[in-house]
Amino acid sequence: MTPGAHIPDDNALAGEYVLGVLPHAERRSVEERMTRDSEFAALVASWQADFSHLDDSYAPEAPPQRVKAAIDARLFVETGTSTGGLWGSLVFWRGLAFAAIAVAAVLGIYGGNFPGAGGPGEAPVLVAELAATDSGVGLIAALDPADGAFTITPAAFSPDDGKSLELWLVPGDGAAVSLGLVPTDGGRLVLDRDLVNRVSDGALLAVSLEPLGGSPTGVATGPVLLSGALLKK
Amino acid sequence: MTQDILSGLIARTALGDRKAFSVLYDETSAKLFGVSLRILKDRAHAEDAVQEIYVRIWRRAGSFRAGQASAMAWLVTIARNQAIDMVRARQPETLDYDDAPDVADPDPGPEAAAVLRGEGRRIATCLGELEAGRAAAVVAAYVEGLSYQELAEQNAVPLNTMRTWLRRSLVKLRECMSR
Repeated sequence: MTPGAHIPDDNALAGEYVLGVLPHAERRSVEERMTRDSEFAALVASWQADFSHLDDSYAPEAPPQRVKAAIDARLFVETGTSTGGLWGSLVFWRGLAFAAIAVAAVLGIYGGNFPGAGGPGEAPVLVAELAATDSGVGLIAALDPADGAFTITPAAFSPDDGKSLELWLVPGDGAAVSLGLVPTDGGRLVLDRDLVNRVSDGALLAVSLEPLGGSPTGVATGPVLLSGALLKK
Repeated sequence: MTQDILSGLIARTALGDRKAFSVLYDETSAKLFGVSLRILKDRAHAEDAVQEIYVRIWRRAGSFRAGQASAMAWLVTIARNQAIDMVRARQPETLDYDDAPDVADPDPGPEAAAVLRGEGRRIATCLGELEAGRAAAVVAAYVEGLSYQELAEQNAVPLNTMRTWLRRSLVKLRECMSR
């Protein structure tokens, strides 16, 4: 039972799992293995990416309206209050409109480049274009891993009414991690080194509206205004 | 809707943004209902599946990684897994086949040496290198969510033979795509 002897078997097993041909009990045991064997989980992910090219075979068909109502009832009815009011709030839309104007101005000035884009021979700069659901880019965050600082553009984005904007790293599992407040003046946000190490290519960032000085609880309490993935540029 | 916009909607869903989740549903539920219908072949069951799929998406949105999979591929994976699990739950828990048949091909045949080079990484090209019947079995398994039992019946071969065929096909596909 040498590990090497099982590589083709594991490869086939991961493929069988992705195809879906295995019976129920074996599917559960493969999923259990994925949680403790990252190499095997990577084989599964690789098959998933390859076979996803067959997804075009699925013809879309709108489900009946009652399905969405049933989902909303299951997820949201027992929790009561809605965050929809905050989404409709004037603070958010005023801030976003201002950001959109500011980002247009910045892109005009820099011609699509932004400060902190990094020089030759350095670790690649990671850039996230943070956008809202219904509009374009509201804010650009560029992380230079060399100095562990985010350059935030436009720096002038600021909420009214004594609120702060807080930047979050959204991890694969567990709660979002605060990266700090979006600076209102200069546009640089320096991270602790251990936080820099947790921020990787493809990581998701989000900006939420919080009480002045940031979330009092360490978890996002306000609505999420903007979000986007950090990608190598 | 572009993959970037879908990624952003998933990210906001991960942070509990119901409006983003609602837009995500409006933009993707037809595709995921299509997946569920194709695998479950029953409208009522497919509606139940879509419900479970979006409950899972709401709860697991934080595990989406933009760099690892396209947003739509990630959503379809969740839908396929849900629909296949619902089908398998109504079938026997285990199947009486030999444990992990040997995947080494005893006779690779002369065609293996004559395999076309070039754009061999793509799944369609590599499926084209398999015997037509075996490639069709792989595609039917994926798209229709067929079990080994169903594949064996369709191909009129014993269960163990079907499994050996499919596992060898998978090993050949992987070899082809890693060239």
